[in-house]
Amino acid sequence: MKLSDKEQLALTIDQTRDLLSHLENNEIEDAQELIDSFAGQGDEDLFVEIGKLTRNLHEALTNFQMDSRITDIAASEIPDAKERLNYVIDKTEEAANKTMDMVETCTERSNKMAKDSEDLLVEWKKLYNRELEPGDFRKLCKKIETHLEKNKDDADDLHRELSDVLLAQDYQDLTGQVIRQVITLVHDVEESMVHIIKMFGSMDGYNKAKDETVKKGGVEGPVVNVEKRDDVVQGQDEVDDLLSSLGF
Amino acid sequence: MKILVVDDFSTMRRIIKNLLRDLGFTNTQEADDGNTALPMLQAGNFDFLVTDWNMPGMQGIDLLKAVRADDKLKTMPVLMVTAESKREQIIEAAQAGVNGYIVKPFTAATLNEKLQKIFERIDG
Repeated sequence: MKLSDKEQLALTIDQTRDLLSHLENNEIEDAQELIDSFAGQGDEDLFVEIGKLTRNLHEALTNFQMDSRITDIAASEIPDAKERLNYVIDKTEEAANKTMDMVETCTERSNKMAKDSEDLLVEWKKLYNRELEPGDFRKLCKKIETHLEKNKDDADDLHRELSDVLLAQDYQDLTGQVIRQVITLVHDVEESMVHIIKMFGSMDGYNKAKDETVKKGGVEGPVVNVEKRDDVVQGQDEVDDLLSSLGF
Repeated sequence: MKILVVDDFSTMRRIIKNLLRDLGFTNTQEADDGNTALPMLQAGNFDFLVTDWNMPGMQGIDLLKAVRADDKLKTMPVLMVTAESKREQIIEAAQAGVNGYIVKPFTAATLNEKLQKIFERIDG
């Protein structure tokens, strides 16, 4: 039967009184007996505590083995995330190429428009300078009419091409959603790992590693946290300054 | 002027080629890393090299060093266009003999300015 804390306290006080009276009355054997019974009680508590710890450990191990989250992550979610990130590469590449296709078409069209207008202006100036023959005037009128009609068509085409450029930017929405899902997964993996470290590793080591800034060597692509780094330049101006300080 | 543009991303090669064309350089070819670029340079009468740094296969910095170590290519102007922005990397490129260094993302004006600077130095 388990005693409450209050009952336990009352019992201990009684036992201590008994022990004191045994000692005062020089009843050494009785005192020894009482002390032995105390020790036995202490062992019992210790065993109860060890029992509790064993059960917790057992539960933790079972939970750990049963943690299907980790199994899911390793078996399907990480491979899936790789596919998703490849999708991001494909979509952004596709969008960039589509946009550049349209920009190239627009550039060609605007170059042609400029060239046509230039040619026409030469003849228009001749008209001002009275250098045109009567027959040439009719030809010029026809040319201007053709030019204006073509301009109208070109403007329509430009409008269509610019709409295509606009639509090509839909990759931002699609890839944004995918990347957000991958960020959630990375977060879950982080939590699972911290959980494992808590159970089997050292949280001190974890916290220490968290505070350390990792010095990265070699190529690393675009730096995404420039403001937290002091080993990278913040832009072209700093590159130029650095190079000129080296005598460039 | 024949220019070789080296970058592992085709979109970036296309952007650089388009910008170069707008600046009047129409004779450009492409390679996707140093291993493809080096034999092209050795075989192909190029006058100018624009290269990325971070590429699978041979990286841009190694391509630069290989160019500087090659008797036929060592005077070729090299412009690096890269996202690598560590000071030690920029210094490494400078020491390896790069003629210009542009960090991505960059503008058409920056590319033009760096090209002009390199040409001025070569002509002068």
